[in-house]
Amino acid sequence: MSVELFVTDKAGLTKFYEAIISKNETYAPVEKFGKYDFKRVSSLDACNPDAPIAQTLSAKPLFFPRSAKIMKYTADHSGTSVKETDEDSLAGKRVILGMKHCDARALQVLDKVYNWDYIDTDYQRRRENTVIISTRCDKAGTHCFCTSLDYDVEHSDAMDVAIVNGTDGKIFIEPRTEKGKNFLKEMNIEQRISNNEFQIADETAPEAIKQHYEAFAASFRLKMDYKEVNAKLSKIFDSPEFENVSANCISCNTCAFVCPTCHCFKISDEKVKDTGVRYKSYDSCNNGYFTLMAGGHNPRPVKYRRWRQRTLHKFVYYKERFGENLCVGCGKCTNSCPVNISIFEVVNQVSETVPV
Amino acid sequence: MDYTNQIREIASKLFAEGKIDVFVGYRMTGFDENQVPALIRDPNEVSKLVFTDKSVFNLTNYLKQDHTRNKRIGLVVKGCDSRALNLLLTESQVKRENLHIVGIPCKGVVDESGNKMQNCIECIFPNPVVFDEMVDGTPTGSEAPSYQVNTDIRNIAAMNLVERRACFEEVFESCIRCNACRHSCPMCYCAKCCIDQETSTLYHGANTTSSAFHALMTWSLHLAGRCVDCRNCEKACPSHLPLHLLHKWNEQVIYENFQEHLAGVHEGDRGAFYKYNMKDPDDFIM
Repeated sequence: MSVELFVTDKAGLTKFYEAIISKNETYAPVEKFGKYDFKRVSSLDACNPDAPIAQTLSAKPLFFPRSAKIMKYTADHSGTSVKETDEDSLAGKRVILGMKHCDARALQVLDKVYNWDYIDTDYQRRRENTVIISTRCDKAGTHCFCTSLDYDVEHSDAMDVAIVNGTDGKIFIEPRTEKGKNFLKEMNIEQRISNNEFQIADETAPEAIKQHYEAFAASFRLKMDYKEVNAKLSKIFDSPEFENVSANCISCNTCAFVCPTCHCFKISDEKVKDTGVRYKSYDSCNNGYFTLMAGGHNPRPVKYRRWRQRTLHKFVYYKERFGENLCVGCGKCTNSCPVNISIFEVVNQVSETVPV
Repeated sequence: MDYTNQIREIASKLFAEGKIDVFVGYRMTGFDENQVPALIRDPNEVSKLVFTDKSVFNLTNYLKQDHTRNKRIGLVVKGCDSRALNLLLTESQVKRENLHIVGIPCKGVVDESGNKMQNCIECIFPNPVVFDEMVDGTPTGSEAPSYQVNTDIRNIAAMNLVERRACFEEVFESCIRCNACRHSCPMCYCAKCCIDQETSTLYHGANTTSSAFHALMTWSLHLAGRCVDCRNCEKACPSHLPLHLLHKWNEQVIYENFQEHLAGVHEGDRGAFYKYNMKDPDDFIM
């Protein structure tokens, strides 16, 4: 396998980013109130591709918008007209800068559910149109545990182009997919090499990247055996421990709204006089009304049952159906939780109550 | 500020005397230096309790939950928390005889980066206004500043209506409509919240600036004269919205127009909009 691998420095990377932004529809973390959200950017100054993981919201809304317009309607005396619409998904090619690996990996997990019984064409179009450029983390965040889950973080192809900070100011640029290779060609990689902004990496580079990964993997405080957790959690649906660990959850839904893999939604209408728009927006299974049925029956009437559903969906049901955990270990839920509940801690706490 | 030992002693004593079923305090998360609320039912777990300047979350939020309803509760409150508790008592949401309130003479709590929170710097009620016992005996007469208008609010007050709307729209634009602010608010206990009506065409859950504007404005007006500035909402907000702008703005308008009313300061004191006073001005609508 011929590995195309390039090396540059801080200045070369800045020029590369500037070229990307000027030539493409680019999305990158933009700071507001101390929190980064992915927004359309027109200059590198306006964004921070190295936004810290703890302060960055997921880029999931670029694929599964927080609110997507799915229909417009007009109804008056002359009749009713309905138009299916999703303006956003008609967008052309896009590039995302500064998406972390866990966030990009979450899309691969989501692909399975979006290609299951119903093919979500809007999601597919957004996925196909997007090139993901991701800076590899140098160090694990406080709540990160991505290396403890069921995929190979080191050789991941979740991002199209990986950017790795080597030692001595060297920065490696590594296309991980065909899409990434083609994108680098489009971005005149040949010319950059002749300009001496980029060099073709020598044979020591793969070793340097490996060392970077090893240092990163060694920085994790949180480690678990996901197979053991999956096996244990699948046995304890009736465990009273769920009531104990969920006691301090305030059902605020923040965890689900920031989660890069949660994909539940609700449908709502915005109506002004004779016209209206139908939205598909995020919802959370922690909401009391989430399972409320017509007629008033609610199969999950109390908090711990809703909480159990969310946890078991992540670590048991999705795994059984699609072969992967619906958690990428990014720690966004823990970072955002107003009462500091850690999914890592509670999952392990519940598992520990199961006899081996 | 470390009252860990005192809290543990009090909790053990309450369990031993059979006065409570559950003690609501804080414990360490078990993996970092942050704290997580602890609902202790087992007297043997009392040793998990802690209280330091990282004990941020307003625990009165837990009084409205199913598993604490109609239980005898030991509850740790700081100054701001006790004001929320006062209002919940006045509004008949909790029974006083079910509560054993442990007061903390609060010296201010810190945010994620270890800095004292802004509301703590401006706090005028560091000592609980309602309690059964204080961790340090009687409340110490720590000098609290008098009520002052927050700088941000002074800027908003100086704006004209168009600028003010633009200022709030700028805030609401980043709202992701998760409603975490509402859920984390101790004063929000409606079984069915007006901003959460899934069939409503006005307060629908779509993530648009207009939807956020409607929802957050309505929410803040329901809290006008009831917000105790504990900032649970800001801590809960995943987008870090400065929600205090809404609440402090309301607080200031009410303070100036309703005989210096501040929420939950006196036992039995109803919110500004719950009582009629001949001196109330009638020359404006909020």
